[in-house]
Amino acid sequence: MTILHHVGDVLRGLLAEVPLYAVRLLFVLTFLLLLVWVIRLPKERTQPPNGARRWDENLKLGAVLALLLQIIIYSLL
Amino acid sequence: MLSLPDYFVIGLYLIGTLSMGVAIGRRLKTGKDFFLAGRQLPWWAIGMSLVATDIGGTDIIGVGGAAYRHGMAVANFEWIGCVPAMIVGAFVFIPFFYRTGVYTIPEFMERRYNVAVRAILAACWLLFMACNLGIMLLASAKMMAQVFGWEPALCIIVTASLVGIYTMIGGLAAVVYTDMIQCVIMILGCLLILIMGLIEVGGFAELSHRLATLNHPMTDGAPLSPTEINASAESTADHASLILPVDTPSPYPWPGIFFGLALILSPAYWIGNQAIVQRSLGARSEFEAQASYIWGALLKNIIPLIVAVPGLIALVVVPDLQDSDGAIPALVGLMLPPGVRGIFVAAFLAALMSSIDSYLNSAATIVTNDFFVRFVNRQASDTQLLNIGRVTTLVLVAWAIVFAFSLNLLSDQGGIYAIFQTLLAFFQGPSFAVLIIGVFWRRATGTAAVIALLGGIGTSISLCVLNQPWLAEAWQLEPLFQIQEPFLYFSIWAFLVTAGLLIIISIFTKQVPAEKLQYVISNRNGRQDI
Repeated sequence: MTILHHVGDVLRGLLAEVPLYAVRLLFVLTFLLLLVWVIRLPKERTQPPNGARRWDENLKLGAVLALLLQIIIYSLL
Repeated sequence: MLSLPDYFVIGLYLIGTLSMGVAIGRRLKTGKDFFLAGRQLPWWAIGMSLVATDIGGTDIIGVGGAAYRHGMAVANFEWIGCVPAMIVGAFVFIPFFYRTGVYTIPEFMERRYNVAVRAILAACWLLFMACNLGIMLLASAKMMAQVFGWEPALCIIVTASLVGIYTMIGGLAAVVYTDMIQCVIMILGCLLILIMGLIEVGGFAELSHRLATLNHPMTDGAPLSPTEINASAESTADHASLILPVDTPSPYPWPGIFFGLALILSPAYWIGNQAIVQRSLGARSEFEAQASYIWGALLKNIIPLIVAVPGLIALVVVPDLQDSDGAIPALVGLMLPPGVRGIFVAAFLAALMSSIDSYLNSAATIVTNDFFVRFVNRQASDTQLLNIGRVTTLVLVAWAIVFAFSLNLLSDQGGIYAIFQTLLAFFQGPSFAVLIIGVFWRRATGTAAVIALLGGIGTSISLCVLNQPWLAEAWQLEPLFQIQEPFLYFSIWAFLVTAGLLIIISIFTKQVPAEKLQYVISNRNGRQDI
């Protein structure tokens, strides 16, 4: 056993203690945090320079939809 | 065997792709046209091209095979391994890179750090792309040989030649527009096998039920060896789950997926991979570059359904395969009647060609831009650049064919997908650490970046070597990692070592000149003019 093996064993032991429902929560929370960040982005970063003339020119909508789908997927599978 | 209508569909697809690429190539006049499509690409074409490039023949066979072997957890690579990074990339990094006007990520690294960082990264990407071209060609050959009995050598040569011709003539524009068509064909073809498979097993609910009741060693009642206990932990019940425990024998334990894939490899791929970022740099505007990533992220949501679920269907239908990479080919052979197989073969070729063309074009861009223009002739004319790009593409095609033949000797020892991911993990973690810290931290210096990058790459390669069973046996040690193919862990440790070295050495080295700091995102909104 080398020092690397000991470090690995300690980390593996610690992570193995985390229950899988908490891990699922971690995955879903990551997407939720990202969702909040996207929603709070200012207009100038999510729309064309002259503003959105059509609904699909607002990139927030596509990003929010993609993230919501991910939240559903990781909540269920 | 394929019937005449199958060959008709395949022929139609190949002729259409080739004609499109050649037609686009006639308009090319300059190096900028060849490498960045004259910055005239629309977002919808780029978004589909991003997905098509990411899903190669290696994925249709490799992801399906991995799903057969390890379960749905492989879908993490398309979901948490893509969507978050694409969204962050769209709003933070892509507009920033676009405004710099660079052709390549290594070029950006020289502007931020120094020429040594650029050269090391360009060499890594070139090596990876060149190897990956061979891996992708081999995947196609295995598929064709298994399902249709075609000669593997002929498959490799014909595929490489066809892609080589239109990529050489049409450059990035041909790559993106053919990718777009290929994306549609690929999705339709994979959807076909998914639908036929689900009909065969009786729908999603029945698939889930049959997965849960498949026999495995635990049900025999006989004493199990430690290996069998590990194998049974990877039970068929886990096959439907995205999140696997730390002690899973598969390569996808949750810490690797979360820390290695979602936080390191995935952003490194979508933000720092030249083959991916290059097409967004060819967009008509900064906004369209951003939109292409969001469109790609939306499409990514459906990809695992069409590439991973068929692997699970194969597990139910043909549970006794020795080689998991044979799962999807076996399913195609069983499910699709003559006359319909041609559509799947076209889809497979589309996936394969859309990845090969992208890597060919990006590798040619790196050779031309990061080596020839930077180190040989800084005054090269546009026509010269165009010619060099085309000649490099031709040379890379020849190399890819040779490498595919060589790799054939090794591929039985592990899945194709794992080989690809391990190669990426060697330098993706270190390069991402250097990129991300350089973009956000003004104090990061060029000298520190060079040492950290080399240290990080050395770390991942050392971990891979130290984990080899023959070495552990010779030194009478346990392998360092207890999971199969621990490429996700290589990337975590390599990232951490690189980041640590970069931060510590930067503190003790001279600050970078002011002109380098314009390549740091310094204000809160990241809306920095360059």
